[in-house]
Amino acid sequence: MLGLAKGLSYTLKTLVGKKVTLKYPDEPIIMPDRFRGIQHFDPEKCIVCNQCARICPTQCIDLTGKKPDDPEKKGKVINTYDINFEICILCDLCTEVCPTEAIVMTNNFELASFSRDELFKDMKWLHENNTNVRKEQH
Amino acid sequence: MGTITTEEMMLNMGPQHPSTHGVLRLVVTLDGETIKAVDPVIGYLHRGTEKLAEDLNYTQIIPYTDRMDYLAAMLGNYNIVHCVETALGLEIPERAEYIRVIAMELQRIASHLVWWGTYLMDIGATTPFLVAFRDRETILNFFNELSGARLTYNYMRVGGVKWDVPPGWVERVGEFVQYMKKELASYHQLVTGNEIFLKRVIGVGAYTAEQAINYGLTGVTLRCTGVKWDLRRDEPYSIYDRFEFDVPTATEGDCWARYRLRMEEIVQSLRIVEQAVAQFPNDGDFMAKVPRVIRPPAGECYTRMESSKGELGTYIYSEGKDKPYRLKFRRPSFVNLSILPEILKGENMANTVAILGSIDIVLGEVDA
Repeated sequence: MLGLAKGLSYTLKTLVGKKVTLKYPDEPIIMPDRFRGIQHFDPEKCIVCNQCARICPTQCIDLTGKKPDDPEKKGKVINTYDINFEICILCDLCTEVCPTEAIVMTNNFELASFSRDELFKDMKWLHENNTNVRKEQH
Repeated sequence: MGTITTEEMMLNMGPQHPSTHGVLRLVVTLDGETIKAVDPVIGYLHRGTEKLAEDLNYTQIIPYTDRMDYLAAMLGNYNIVHCVETALGLEIPERAEYIRVIAMELQRIASHLVWWGTYLMDIGATTPFLVAFRDRETILNFFNELSGARLTYNYMRVGGVKWDVPPGWVERVGEFVQYMKKELASYHQLVTGNEIFLKRVIGVGAYTAEQAINYGLTGVTLRCTGVKWDLRRDEPYSIYDRFEFDVPTATEGDCWARYRLRMEEIVQSLRIVEQAVAQFPNDGDFMAKVPRVIRPPAGECYTRMESSKGELGTYIYSEGKDKPYRLKFRRPSFVNLSILPEILKGENMANTVAILGSIDIVLGEVDA
């Protein structure tokens, strides 16, 4: 029974050792800067190039553009921008291809909700999700 | 006294059984406590990755490989990019190769730690699980800093890696290697000499080298029968030819041999990481010059690598377009699982979990 006793002595040693568990959710977890959380979207920067929707492996991004209000301006401006977080896998490819950094990752990761509909986030919600935005960009 | 006749019984184990490591279902035919036949039912986690890939470009396939063997996503990432790079004939910058090797070997350690913890939990010890997860957490934090995710990294790209290493990261990995080397002694103290554990694994679930080869087993499940076959040494890919490491083998072919080999593999992986940290280039690119749209030339390409489970391969049939015409993953968990009905036959029912656990499967990879 020597082996068993040796093993138990290690267990007893860890009993008085430093605690390794975290007190989440009582104490928030600070993720490293590169962490891929829920996206922040800036409509001002978006040039409606559609690259994010095209690179998305799960096709969770839906966007539409419109003509700018000012008739002098060329190109398009963003009209609607929705991400379906039921199928988004937070793979970071949308932010990687975005040429203007209109879509960027944040450190926020809490998405749990009581209904599936709430996981459908629109442009307003994504724009207001502007805390803990990732500093290091591509 | 005459012999007691018993009736055969069908027992359903899983798919929601904690010791099947996911959603494996085993239909077991029992005669008393003895197993007569086992019929594994798979496919509960089938997502059709290979078919989905036909409609995705090569960069988009990478996050899907994260979700196959989700305990070793870095290895899955490398698997696909390595095949595309080989098809394209790309040369990868040295710095990227070093980052990849460090990431892959740390991943192998993390994968083996999960195996170690859960395997012992399967056979009745709860403490090792917590110890293994504590140290695995350190590795996951390294990956979180590196790629921004704890499990599904999506870190490797065709031609290199997505990000350079953060400042001080390589040095901290070096410190972890020293810590882990010492800590492994505690792992052995906690488990390896334990008499109850030894009784559960020695001589259990044994098979021969011939059986292993006939079933196409690879990785630890092959090496435990004495066959010295490791793709990192026998068909070096990436920069594995620059490192010194041993390929541990055993001859018993039982659960005990597989246990020892995985523990020894952690030591060898630590050796590789230590050398890679020491040789790590101070500067250089982490991404090769890659065309914006990746179109491998028309034809076929198959590459393979040594994952934590065995030989992980990718076959691509390209028509010269940005999406594969056909893509096939050779998944070691799936192949290794195929020997299970054979080795479970005649065993005691209580050994089912001990034998299944020793094969080390991940159902995401079995079902793909």
